[in-house]
Amino acid sequence: MAAEGPKVRKPAPPAFARALREKGNGTEPHFSRGAFLLEQDLLSRRFSGQKIGYLALATAAIVSAASSGSANAALRTSVRAPEFVTPPRANAAIAHQAADAASDSRIVVDETGRYVTVPADVRRIVSLAPNLTETIYALGAESRLAGDTDYCDVPPDARTKPHIGSILSPSLEAIVGLKPDLVLASTTINRRETVDALEQLGVAVYSTDPHTIDGLLAGIEHLAGILGIAPQGHKLVARLQARLAAVQTALAGQPRSRVLFVVWDDPLISIGPHTFIADALQRAGAESVVETAQNWPHVNLESIVHSQPEYLIFVGDHGDEIPTLADLRARPVWRDLNAVKQGKIAVVSGEVDRPSPGLIDAIENLAKQLHPSAFANSAAGGAQ
Amino acid sequence: MQPMTPRRILGVCAILASALFVAMVVSLRLGAYPMSVTSVVTTLYHGAIGQMDRIPSDFRLVIFGIRLPRIAMGIVVGASLAVAGAGFQSLLRNPLADPYVLGVSTGAALGAIISLIVAPHVPLAMQGAAFVGAAATIAAVYFLGRRGGQLDSATLLLAGIISASFLSAVIMFLMTTLSGRDLRGMAFWLMGDLATPPQISISFLFAVMIAAAGAIYTTASDLNLILTGEQEARHLGVNVARVKIVVYISASLLTGLAVSVSGAIGYVGLLVPHVMRMMFGSDYRVLIPASAFGGAIAIVLADTLARTVVAPTELPVGAMTAIVGAPVFIYLLRRRVR
Repeated sequence: MAAEGPKVRKPAPPAFARALREKGNGTEPHFSRGAFLLEQDLLSRRFSGQKIGYLALATAAIVSAASSGSANAALRTSVRAPEFVTPPRANAAIAHQAADAASDSRIVVDETGRYVTVPADVRRIVSLAPNLTETIYALGAESRLAGDTDYCDVPPDARTKPHIGSILSPSLEAIVGLKPDLVLASTTINRRETVDALEQLGVAVYSTDPHTIDGLLAGIEHLAGILGIAPQGHKLVARLQARLAAVQTALAGQPRSRVLFVVWDDPLISIGPHTFIADALQRAGAESVVETAQNWPHVNLESIVHSQPEYLIFVGDHGDEIPTLADLRARPVWRDLNAVKQGKIAVVSGEVDRPSPGLIDAIENLAKQLHPSAFANSAAGGAQ
Repeated sequence: MQPMTPRRILGVCAILASALFVAMVVSLRLGAYPMSVTSVVTTLYHGAIGQMDRIPSDFRLVIFGIRLPRIAMGIVVGASLAVAGAGFQSLLRNPLADPYVLGVSTGAALGAIISLIVAPHVPLAMQGAAFVGAAATIAAVYFLGRRGGQLDSATLLLAGIISASFLSAVIMFLMTTLSGRDLRGMAFWLMGDLATPPQISISFLFAVMIAAAGAIYTTASDLNLILTGEQEARHLGVNVARVKIVVYISASLLTGLAVSVSGAIGYVGLLVPHVMRMMFGSDYRVLIPASAFGGAIAIVLADTLARTVVAPTELPVGAMTAIVGAPVFIYLLRRRVR
């Protein structure tokens, strides 16, 4: 940058301004490159730029007038118009669509209340959430799973499917490139923007919105119906329900165990009442000592010392990411908890927060850890 | 240096426009869905002559449905941020001014978030709120940054940084009130993200961008004079108050526009005008269009990187501009000092 430009160098505009004032000379100023690299041509008003600016304003006015109409026409014809907008507006469009699409597709309502046009024969499924990938496998429909996310690891075979990116920022073009008949999303983990964007591209997206274990099971059955495998769905759900019932039978008469569920240990984050984990705890014969309305409350450890839970429950699949009992016994405050003193620590797999069939495994596992006596001489809970 | 003429400006614009075109082609070619240059060109050709049905439907979706709209958004956002940056730099007579550094982007983001909480489905509410947030923030920073009636460079930047951190704290507070699903979208958007198509038409965004940039351009030669000092410019017959108002409103509008589309993307408003000054000089008559093109190129390239580095996962483009932008900025600063 030193190669071009004026020869005179002064440090900064204020210095230049002073110089200008002292000389009383506005017509032949010395220019400072200073911070702004001023140029000699600066004061020439031969060409002011005003006209171009006004021209731009006029162009903008014309463009904005035209924008409502023709500008996007090319795009609109290239991409199928969004068929499944929000339900109230969609009715007319859908009636139209249904007339067009003969009998080879159906319009279903997903769990978020959106209308989705699903081909009668869903052959290629892309899953945007690990819990849905797992559900597809549990339904025995994995041969139709065309792609899943980088984080789909249950069952291990899910890792071998083509990936479409992470859960929060998948690649739209990777999804489109897999030519899915149906994309599955979950409100528990996906972004609404991803679903909206796919719908705008004319891709059918079915969103699940589970809030309780009962809702989860009903959702699995409904999804199986949409995929054309209702009998498998019915069988799977009946099996899961039987396992849950067996746990309930085994736990009959057992007092609820008061627990601290540790989502994160430093800072301490626990769970609120409206989470899957709370539901799972309840079915495993436990209740959280944390009273809150938030879903993922930051909890003051002192208050836990006050309420003294019987068990601490940590989440860990491999065991290395959670503190050991020795760690906890060395930590201030934690070591004052009776559960730590007595070594009453339970570890549950990450499935406990995955609205999928694996959640039932986690419940069984937790119930056995918290109430060993109830399962000591009963095979009921240990079935499977 | 030769005098500034429309021809020279057109020349600069032509160079930058061809660079932008190259960036667009590169961006159209790269992505998680593999496409050869030939198929990109064929698809574009058939698209241009209106033979949409001769294009394979995948190519159509990927090129016209996903990549082109995203590039168009990148151009709007990049040009808006860079011109807003150039505008704020002249308005505040501070070469380090930038929508992001001054907290204006954060203010716009706060406005947008408030509108999403209060009136989630009102059209243009988010854009309007982002503009109000941007305008209010720059006004606050302007008054906080004055010392004894004069704008003090260091005080101004500090005021911007403090405002930004205060506003982010408010954003964090508001975000805790949102449900999980909204939160995920919001957190992503705050980092600067082009993956989500805007709810309003891209050509409308283009029109607003051109209008606001054009409004700033009407004051270009006055801005040159104001750089030498407001007093001096006034003596030379510049209506300083009017110029400032035009630049203030337009730059806020541009920031609000960019933030409402893509969230807060840093460094483009700061770096691009700097680089353009080094390449083409600091005359605002050439600097404004050059910054618009430069910003567009920067965002298109940054977003291409963001889409492809860890494909198929996509990074937020704001993370990309910061990773690339911060070291470049430090390099420029150091080189300058020497």
